[in-house]
Amino acid sequence: METTRYRVSIDIGGTFTDLVALDEETGALTNVKVPSTPREPSDAVLNAMREFLWRAKPSEVASVTHATTIAVNALLGQLGLEIPRTALITTKGFRDVIEIGRQRRPELYNLSLQKPRPLIPRMYRYEVSERCGAKGEDIQKLDEEEVAKLGAVLKKENVKSVAIGFINSYVEPRHEEQAEKCLRRVYPDVYVTSSNRIAREHREYERISTAAVNACLMPIISSYTEELTNRLRNKAKIESTFMIMQSNGGIASSEVIAEKPVTVIESGPAAGVIAASFYSRLLGISNILSFDMGGTTAKAGTVREGLPEVTSEYEVGGKVHSGRIVKGSGYPIRFPFIDLSECGAGGGTIAWIDSGGGMQLGPMSAGADPGPACYGRGGDKPTVTDANVVLGRLNPKQLLSGRLKIRSDLAEKSIRKMICERTDLTLVEAATGIIRITVSEINKIMRIVSVERGIDPRDFTLIAFGGAGPMHACLLAEELSIGQVVVPLNPGLFSALGLIAADFVHHDSRPVLGKGSKEVGADLIEKLFVEMEEKTGKLLLREKVEKEHIVFERQLDARYLGQAYELRIPAMNPFSQEALKEAERSFHFTHKSIYGFCSEDEEVEIVNARVIARGIISKPSFPKRPKVYRDNPNDAIVSKRPVYMDEKSVTECPIYGRERLSAGDVLNGPAIVEQYDSTTVIFPGWICEVDEYGNLRVERRE
Amino acid sequence: MTVSSITTELIRGALTYASEEMGVALRNSAYSPNIRERMDHSCSIFDSKRRLVAQAEHIPVHLGSLPFAVNATLESFKETLEEGDAILVNDPFLAGTHLPDLTLIKPVFYREKLAGYVANKAHHSDIGGKSPGSMPSDSTDLREEGLIIEPVKLVRSEVVDDNVIKMITSNVRTPKITIGDLKAQIAANSMGERRLIDVIERYGVDVVQEAVEKAMTISEKRLRKALEEIPDGEFEAEDYLEDTGISDKPVLIKVKITKSNGSVKMDYSGTDQQVKAPVNAPLGVTVAGVYYTVKCITDPTIPTNDGFSRPIEIYAPRGSLLNPVFPAPVAGGNVETSQRNVDALLKAFAQIIPEKVCAGGQGTMNNVTVGGEESTGGRWSFYETIGGGMGASSEVDGADGVHVHMTNTMNTPIEAIETSYPIRLIKYELRADSGGPGKRRGGAGIERSWMLLANSATVSILAERNKIPPWGLNEGKQGALGEFFLLGSDGTRRKLNSKSSFGMTKGDVLMIRTPGGGGFGNPCERDPQLVLRDVLNGFVSIEAAKREYGVAVDLSSKEIDWKLTERLRKDNQQRYEQW
Repeated sequence: METTRYRVSIDIGGTFTDLVALDEETGALTNVKVPSTPREPSDAVLNAMREFLWRAKPSEVASVTHATTIAVNALLGQLGLEIPRTALITTKGFRDVIEIGRQRRPELYNLSLQKPRPLIPRMYRYEVSERCGAKGEDIQKLDEEEVAKLGAVLKKENVKSVAIGFINSYVEPRHEEQAEKCLRRVYPDVYVTSSNRIAREHREYERISTAAVNACLMPIISSYTEELTNRLRNKAKIESTFMIMQSNGGIASSEVIAEKPVTVIESGPAAGVIAASFYSRLLGISNILSFDMGGTTAKAGTVREGLPEVTSEYEVGGKVHSGRIVKGSGYPIRFPFIDLSECGAGGGTIAWIDSGGGMQLGPMSAGADPGPACYGRGGDKPTVTDANVVLGRLNPKQLLSGRLKIRSDLAEKSIRKMICERTDLTLVEAATGIIRITVSEINKIMRIVSVERGIDPRDFTLIAFGGAGPMHACLLAEELSIGQVVVPLNPGLFSALGLIAADFVHHDSRPVLGKGSKEVGADLIEKLFVEMEEKTGKLLLREKVEKEHIVFERQLDARYLGQAYELRIPAMNPFSQEALKEAERSFHFTHKSIYGFCSEDEEVEIVNARVIARGIISKPSFPKRPKVYRDNPNDAIVSKRPVYMDEKSVTECPIYGRERLSAGDVLNGPAIVEQYDSTTVIFPGWICEVDEYGNLRVERRE
Repeated sequence: MTVSSITTELIRGALTYASEEMGVALRNSAYSPNIRERMDHSCSIFDSKRRLVAQAEHIPVHLGSLPFAVNATLESFKETLEEGDAILVNDPFLAGTHLPDLTLIKPVFYREKLAGYVANKAHHSDIGGKSPGSMPSDSTDLREEGLIIEPVKLVRSEVVDDNVIKMITSNVRTPKITIGDLKAQIAANSMGERRLIDVIERYGVDVVQEAVEKAMTISEKRLRKALEEIPDGEFEAEDYLEDTGISDKPVLIKVKITKSNGSVKMDYSGTDQQVKAPVNAPLGVTVAGVYYTVKCITDPTIPTNDGFSRPIEIYAPRGSLLNPVFPAPVAGGNVETSQRNVDALLKAFAQIIPEKVCAGGQGTMNNVTVGGEESTGGRWSFYETIGGGMGASSEVDGADGVHVHMTNTMNTPIEAIETSYPIRLIKYELRADSGGPGKRRGGAGIERSWMLLANSATVSILAERNKIPPWGLNEGKQGALGEFFLLGSDGTRRKLNSKSSFGMTKGDVLMIRTPGGGGFGNPCERDPQLVLRDVLNGFVSIEAAKREYGVAVDLSSKEIDWKLTERLRKDNQQRYEQW
C-alpha cells in the first residue's frame, strides 16, 4: 500500500484559488495558484488539483480541506450565485422583525443612508397563527391546517427554501417542529431551516436572521459541495475525505455543511488564527496574538491556552469601522466565529494628506492593479509598500526572486508629490510616518482582540505572517509591549496550515431558564450538557471521527441578575452543585479581570449552556533540524544596503537569504531576512534565532 | 519645538481609540439595557483647558452636550479637585441634557499636575421623580422629573462616597441597577485615565499638548473648507412642536442661518419662550442638534474635537425653548425638541442645498415608559423608544423603521422584554402607506402593540408628529402622522394624546403607530417598477399607488397596467399644473 503523504488545502479567494500541500515527509509546502472562477468556483478547485497531481498521485493525498467565500459572495449578490427564492414563516404580527432589525441606522451622519436589502423580501414573509409565551407555555396552538395551506402556496410560488422562526421558540421549539413536519409533508422537496435548530438562543431578530441566512444558502451550498465532491472523485480520482472550514475555526464534512451552511460564512479569514493555534501547540507557546498582513488588510486574532478565541456577535456583509463591526450594516448570525478584527492596512493601502493638512491612511488601496507606485504599473499614489521601499526595508530593486521589478524612483516620486509637497515633511520623515501610522492602525485591531477582551498582550507572543506581516512585526510588538515574535518558515503560506491542521469542531447551546442560580438546579444544567454532547458527538461519529478522539468542552454564559450582557465561563464535567458554585466564583473573577470590579453579593444568572465538541485529528508533523551554533552566519548574507530603521539615521544593513539560514543561527538587529514572498525586518534592539523548524524567533534584548 | 503632522495623527488616533475603549468598558459592565442594548451613552477625553480632544458617541444628542457639560460643571464647581476624585452631575442647565443622563467627570493628573479630564454620560433607567423611568410627559417643573444632582464628588481619592450613593439610591426605583451602572461609569473613566497617562508617558506632556492643539486646528480647517463649498447667504426656517401635553398651543422654533465663507451662524431669535411642560431643550441639546446637522451636510469624517466647533456660532435667547432656565422641565427636550430643532435646520439648508439634505423624518423618538409594582413589592419599569420613517433624499428612499437624526438607540428584543416584564408583544411591523409619496418614497413608520399582563401599570408616552406630519421636499409629499391607541380589555378603543400619562389594567393593549418620513420629488416621476415592488411588498396599497403615484397594478398577474398608468400620470400632471 502506498503511503499518503500530502495534506492538501484549497482556499478560494476573490482573484486566486490557492492550493497548498504539506508534504509530511519533508515538511515542505507546495503552492499552486490558479485564477478563481467565480461563476463556477469548483472549476478552479479542479484546475488547481489537476496541476498539483502532476507532482503527486491521487492516492498520496491524505485529506483535502477547503475554505470558500461562496457563502459571503452569494449573500453580497454576486453574479451567477443568485439566491433561489426563499420564504420565511413566522408568528402572526411579526413578519417585519427581520427587516426592522434593531431599528438602528448603520450610519449616524448620512442623510442618504441605505439599510441592507432584506434577504427575504416582504412578499415572501408569511405569518401563521401560533404563539408561545416567555416560559414556553402555549398562548395559541399552531394552526397546522394554515401551515399546510401555506405549503401549497410556497410550492406554487416555486419557493426553494424556507426558514421557520417563531417568537420564543428558543424556550419551547414545539411549534417550529410541528410546522416543519407539516411543511415537509405537503412540500417534501423544499429545504427547511428552523430557527431553534440553527441557533437556540434568545433575541428573536438575531436568531431568525440566522435561520434566514441559512435558508438562503442551503440550495446553493448543498449543490456546490455535492458537485465538488463528485468532480474531485470522478475527475481527479481523489478518494480521501473532503472537509470544509467553518467560521468557528473547525472543519466539518461537506455533508454536515450542506445542512448548516451558515457555519461556513467566514470560512477563509479564520485560517490564519487556526494556524497560529496549531503553532502554539507545535512550539509549546500557549498564548499567541496572530498578525496577518497582506496586500489590502491586516487581521488580528487571539490564541489562549492553545485555542483560538471565538465570539458569537457577527454580521455577515456588514461594514467594519476601525476594526469593529457596525451594528445594523449586515445580517446578524448567531454562530461562533473566530474572533477576528480587521482593518484596511495592507501593503497596497494608500497614504494621503487631508484638507486640514493631517496624514491619513486608507481606506483606498492600490490593490493588485495598478498596485503600489514602485511596481511601475501606473500607480502614482504612495502606499505602505512604497514607504518600505524608500526606507530600504523592502528590496529596492526586485521582489519574488526577481519576478517583480521594483522602481524605487517611482516610490520616492509618489511620496514627494503626494505627501512632502503638501506638508513640511522630508522624504524619510514622510515614509517613516506612513509606517508609524500603519502600525498604530494595526495596534488598534490587536487591542480590540486582546485588551478589550480582558487580555494583557504583554503575556503573549506575536506570530507575524502574510506577505507584509514580518516587515512590521517588531514595530507592532513594541507598541503592544510584547517581547517575543515568531516569523514562521513560509509566512506567505502560513494561513494554509490552519486548514491542514484544524480539528473537527461543532458548537451547540441551550438557554437555561429561571432567574438566578437559586432557581436553577445543577442537575438541570447537567441534563442540557449531556443532551448537547450526545447530539454533537453523533455528528462527529458521522464524520468518521474515532470515539477516543472526541473531546467535549463545557461553557456557561452568565451575568449578574439584571445585567444585559453575558460573560462566558468554563463549566465542569459532571456539573454538580459544587460545580455550579465554582462557576459562580469563576464568573466573579472573570468580571473583575475584564471590567475591573465584581459584586460578590449579587446573584449570578446563568443564561446559556454551551458545548464545544472537538474531533481531534492527527497533527501534521514537521521535520526538525538540530541547531548548529556556527560562529558566523555571515555565509547567509546575500548583500548589504542602506536602510532607515528610523527617520534619524541610516545604517548599512546586512541582508540575509532565508534559505541560507540554518537552525541555531543568531542575527542581531539591525538585520533583514529576505525570502521569496516575504521580508522580515529585525530592528535594532532585537535579536533573532533560527529554531529547529526554521522559524525566526525574534526577541527584544534586555 | 514643533510636533510633526505624523505625531499629531498618532496621538489623535491613540486618544480617539482610548475614548472608544472607555465606551466598550462602560457598555460591557453596565447593568441596564439602556446602556448595554441601546447604547445610550458616550465617553470623551478633554485637555487641561477643558477642550474636547476625542469623543466616542453612539447617539448624536451627546455630540455637543457632553463637552458642554464638562465646561459648565467645572466652571461652577468650586471645590479643589484632587487626583482620584470624580464629579457626578445631572443638573440639565449644567450637564446639558435631561435628569436620567448622569455625567461623571474625572480629572487626570500626571506627576501631580492636571493633564486633562475624562468624562462619560449614560442614560440611567430611573432617577426618581413622579413617574417610573423619570420621563414624565406632564411635568411642569424640573423638580417633578427626578432627583437633581448638583456637581458633587462621588469619588474622593478613588474611594466612592457612600453617602452620595445612599442619597441617590433612596430616591430611585431601581437602586441595584443604578449602582451597577454607576460602577460601570467609574470603571470607564479609570480606563480613560490610564490610557491618557499612557500616551503622555510615551510622548511627553508638551508634545501631547501641542499635538492636541494641532489636531484641533486640522479639524477646524477641514470644516471651514467644507463650509466654503456651501453658497453664502441668509436662510430662515420655522417648525413647530405640535403641543406640549399641558397646552394644545404649538411651540415655535425659528432659526436664521447665516452662512459666510468658512463659518456659519445659527440665530434662534424669535423662538418661543420656555414652556411649563417637559419639552424645553437645554442649551447642550440645542448645540448637539447644530453639530449633528453641520456634520451631515459637510464631512462626517472630520474628527470631533474643539476645533470642529470653532467655525460654528450659536445664539439661542436665554429663557427660550432652546435655552431654558431653572425650573424649566426638560425630560423631553433631548428626545423630542432636539429632533424638531434638526428639522428646522434642515428646512433652512434645503433652500440652498436641497440635494444634500433629506425630507422631514419621523421627527420624534416615541418615548414609552411603563412601570408598576411587582408581586414581591418591588417596582419594575421599562423604557423604550420606537423608530419610524426617515425622510427621503434626492438619492434614496427614506429608510423604513429606523431612529432618525439625534438618536440611534436599539430596540429591546421582544424575547428580552417578555422574560423581564409583564408585557406581551402583539405586533411589530412596518406601516403600509405611511412613507410620504415622492420620486423617492419616505421611510415607513412602525406599528408596535403590546398587552399588559400585570394587574395594573402606569404608562407615560412622550411623542410628536401626531398632528403636524413630517414634511416632504421638492414636490414630495408628507409622511403619515403617528398615533397612539389604548385598546381596553373590554373592547373599548381610545385615542391618546401624544404626550400623556394614564393607567392600564390587565389585558389592555397599547397600540403605537409611528410617523412615516416625508417623500422627495414628484411621486408621478417615481419609476413604476419601484411602485410595483412597494405594492407587492405591502408598503404601498393598490389604491395609494393609483392615487398618489399614478400607477395601476394588476394584483392577479403582479404586473403594471401600463396603459392605465400612462393615463393616470397624465391626469395627475394636469391636475398638478392647474393647481
